Amino acid sequence: MSEPLLDLAHVSHTFPSDVRALQPIDLSIAEGSFVSLVGPSGCGKSTLLRIASGLLKPTEGRVQRSFVPRPGDMAFVFQDATLMPWATVARNVSLPLELAGVSASEARERAHTAISRVGLSEFAEAYPRQLSGGMRMRASIARAIVTNPRLLLMDEPFAALDEFTRFKLNDDLLDLWQANRWTVLFVTHSVREAVFLSERIVVMTPRPGAIAADMSVALPFPRTSELRLGHAFADECAKVTLALEHALNLGRSAA
Amino acid sequence: MSRLVNKTLPFAFGFVVLAAWELGVRAGEVPEYILPGPIAIVGALSTHAADLAQGWAVTVQVTLIALLLAASTGAAFAFLLSQSRLAEQVLFPYAVILQVTPIVTVAPFVIIWVDNIFVVLLILAWMAAVFPIISNTLFGLKSVDLNLRDMFRLYGATKAQTAFRLLAPSTLPHFLSGLRIAGGLSLIGTVVAEMVAGTSGERSGLASRLLEASYRLELAKALACFVLLGLTGLVIYSTLEWLSRRLLRNWHESAADVSQSGTRI
Repeated sequence: MSEPLLDLAHVSHTFPSDVRALQPIDLSIAEGSFVSLVGPSGCGKSTLLRIASGLLKPTEGRVQRSFVPRPGDMAFVFQDATLMPWATVARNVSLPLELAGVSASEARERAHTAISRVGLSEFAEAYPRQLSGGMRMRASIARAIVTNPRLLLMDEPFAALDEFTRFKLNDDLLDLWQANRWTVLFVTHSVREAVFLSERIVVMTPRPGAIAADMSVALPFPRTSELRLGHAFADECAKVTLALEHALNLGRSAA
Repeated sequence: MSRLVNKTLPFAFGFVVLAAWELGVRAGEVPEYILPGPIAIVGALSTHAADLAQGWAVTVQVTLIALLLAASTGAAFAFLLSQSRLAEQVLFPYAVILQVTPIVTVAPFVIIWVDNIFVVLLILAWMAAVFPIISNTLFGLKSVDLNLRDMFRLYGATKAQTAFRLLAPSTLPHFLSGLRIAGGLSLIGTVVAEMVAGTSGERSGLASRLLEASYRLELAKALACFVLLGLTGLVIYSTLEWLSRRLLRNWHESAADVSQSGTRI
């Protein structure tokens, strides 16, 4: 097996308030894989994601990447779309490029490509508050992929959306990933979402988070929305749900 | 139709009040040195037009320069405070003291220490206007979206890029709301300063002339000054309000245009 893109060794985190968010965790992410972190809220998934991005230093342990990150190599999609309300979609999406010193004309062109890939071309000149929640999230994804990142970190990006919008965005995200094969680390508390999107699912225990199960999803690619209707999908969901329940019980008996 | 009524109603109300005033003064044969009627005041406005215009120019000049100074120094000071908690803890109480000290009590000292009366007026008006700018801008700087901050960090933004592309625009609405308050305060500060400093002659402002006229029992002229000051305050506020809407109309809820707000799917 080749060197993992991201390797967390014995990473743990305790907040200054003495709240222990993460127990020592070992996690390797292979290049080009789509990995979901599933767990109850407050289990330290987001903390783990922030550590993976370098935004947060772990209290202990080591974070290793197969690359030396330059700006734009790692992109973060937050639960909230986190767009600049004073800028149009196009300006929001080109921001990472502009910050990196890419020329204005090139930035504009690449931003428009990214915007069309998330199906938002019509709204490139709209301001965020003119858009629906799902469209804002599309813009946020466009901004994340505009730099063609090595590692895409997504923190419950679709949690605030209604189910139809969520399915549609799941479908489109999967299409984008199948075409580009960025390495994705995706946090969610929806089992169905995790199963539909991921090659591999890491189940976490309640706080302080630890890895309770690490399972691969036995569903072939390319996946399409019909997959959700089949037995195979339901079986996989059941497996993950069982693992999640087991993890919750682990947490309860420890507490 | 109802919009037209809404727009004209305040004017109609004002007209009724003025008419009652004029009639009352005439019916009661109130002498002009006690209470002149609106017509006499308008008369004073035209008789003393040159005089009043001169005073108005001075007052407006002081008010606007002090406002500009308050806006720039206040925003810069707020930025400084936002850079370190220690700086805020040490310095912000002094900004509060500056605010709660009535400028009338400071004026005598400033007049002793500073020769140039124009500068005296500027200092006092600045003192009256600067606090809401500091306070609102600081609040804005502290409410910048944490996720956006993280994003700028993740993309390796320099300090200057963060300041101009994140902090400045996201603080703008708060700064502008401070500016709207400061506009009125700057005029009030100028008026109070003029009255305390007791300026006279060509370089004296509208408030000094108001005081002078009232000493001479030229009440129509004094009230004319009063009317001009009120209108000036109104114009300053409306201009700042307009500026604020214009700068924020595309994105901020406070300036939302009903026709384009809300969700489009």
